[in-house]
Amino acid sequence: MEDQEILAKFADPASRNLAFNQLVRKYQQKVYWHVRKMVVDHDDADDLTQDTFVKVWNHLGNFRQDASLYTWIYRIATNECLSFLSSKRRKFFLPLNDVSEELAAKMEADPSLAGDEVELKLQKAILRLPDKQRLVFNLKYYEDMKYEDMAEVTGTSVGALKASYHHAVKKIEQYINEPS
Amino acid sequence: MNTPFRLDDHPRRPQPLAPPPDGYFDRLPTQIMARVQPGASQEPAAFGWLKALSLPLRTALGSVVVLGGFAATFLLNQPTNTPHLVHANLASVPRAEMVQYLLASDERVSLSDLSELPVADQDMVHEYLNVSPAEVQAALDEQPTEPSYL
Repeated sequence: MEDQEILAKFADPASRNLAFNQLVRKYQQKVYWHVRKMVVDHDDADDLTQDTFVKVWNHLGNFRQDASLYTWIYRIATNECLSFLSSKRRKFFLPLNDVSEELAAKMEADPSLAGDEVELKLQKAILRLPDKQRLVFNLKYYEDMKYEDMAEVTGTSVGALKASYHHAVKKIEQYINEPS
Repeated sequence: MNTPFRLDDHPRRPQPLAPPPDGYFDRLPTQIMARVQPGASQEPAAFGWLKALSLPLRTALGSVVVLGGFAATFLLNQPTNTPHLVHANLASVPRAEMVQYLLASDERVSLSDLSELPVADQDMVHEYLNVSPAEVQAALDEQPTEPSYL
């Protein structure tokens, strides 16, 4: 079902539930993996994915179609992730690096990375990036999102996003090339 | 000598982390739908209309209910004028003041009042009516039997 059709059906109370169900089925995997890469842990990703769609439900009636539905949902998911990570630091008075270390520890325990040292080191390098730069890196590197769409998701200019991604790649390569 | 790592040369893994539990994406839509419509059928119908009101209206309604409660409590705690209290209060008023009030106001003395007064208080008849009991009796005898007022 196309986004326009979903929105039209959502506007009609008789078909609202059906439309929203279709919306969730269409975007759930994208949102989940976007969130999961940011918070690493499945349970946290599950909570944040659900919270994202609850917010989508609550605000879809006010959605102005000057942005695409896809970037609007990503924007909500992104804000959920950044708020979660920020509150985690505030809650436990953790400095930036401690949360990165915690995420890295979860990453090391991930069975899909077992035995792949380079990939594990790459994931750890990504986790060392500041949250917003990590977000930019993930959207570009893993999801190959256009910079224009990323600008809608993050509320940052295209130029700033390109610079952020370029610096992120340099930092990652530098970290991996450092002798351990 | 190892070749320096270059991200462009590294094979990209779209999902570098372990996949979620089996069937997760089959269950997720149901879980989300349950969250966006929690127990809609369990909501008591009597208060269902409250959800239709906007937040400012609900706040105003809540304030009215609270203030109304205070007002009702205040009124219900006021001392009540029971018949016993009315009689006690009336008895505390000096009789002379009471008669002065009746004379000064438009209140009128009925025939039954006039017939009972000489029996109840001789002094008052002399002081305020300035007539003897015989004259009062004569005036009463002249009146027709139907109730009338002097």
